Amino acid sequence: MAKILIPTPLRQYAGRQDAVELNGSTVGEVLDALTSSFQDLRRHLYNDEGRLRSFVNVYVNDEDIRYLSKDATPVGENDTISIVPSIAGGLHAG
Amino acid sequence: MVRIETQPWETMVEHARRVYPNECCGVMLGKASNGEKRVSRAVPLDNAWQGEQRARYELRPEDLLAAEREARAQGLELIGIYHSHPDCDAYFSETDLKNSCPWYSFVVLSIQRGAFGHANSWLPNAEQTAAEKEELICGE
Ligand SMILES: [Zn+2]
Repeated sequence: MAKILIPTPLRQYAGRQDAVELNGSTVGEVLDALTSSFQDLRRHLYNDEGRLRSFVNVYVNDEDIRYLSKDATPVGENDTISIVPSIAGGLHAG
Repeated sequence: MVRIETQPWETMVEHARRVYPNECCGVMLGKASNGEKRVSRAVPLDNAWQGEQRARYELRPEDLLAAEREARAQGLELIGIYHSHPDCDAYFSETDLKNSCPWYSFVVLSIQRGAFGHANSWLPNAEQTAAEKEELICGE
């Protein structure tokens, strides 16, 4: 079981829980388990092509999975998965 | 509707004026219930944009993660993100939209020649194609 923290605005789609414990040995498996248990959550995290939305970053403890093994990043009993949006902006492009 | 209490509001305005003519950014923590969001704490964060910061900002995801952990520890919620527009209106630009997240309120502060001008709050959609203006109230 790994623990996944649910960002506040998404808790309404996750049974109002702030964290969910799920089975899975990789990040991908845990996310699949999450969105199978809470299907409304899926469209908030994934686009129509089934890919994580561009603003969604996934962290295992303090590490961004993009710099680990992405979906295949292993997770164990004591690992915490966080969903962290990427946010930026500006007046001009470039 | 988003209401920003006086103390966090002053923190945000002071932050925006201090980093002028660059863009500032930070997070707003508080509580949300029945469609009303109330911000009780503003946390200034580093503008992590590598380059000219007069017209760009970027939040470090690690800083956002730390802010979210802090909010959880204090029983607060991450309500939104704020940033400033130096010498420009508080609109939601194309770049703001393309790098937004629909889960949060985005407050933009317009700073004109170093002084606070006006502010707006925006709610971007999930496709990052449009942002709706949200009622913004500053004060208790
Ligand atoms: Zn902006």
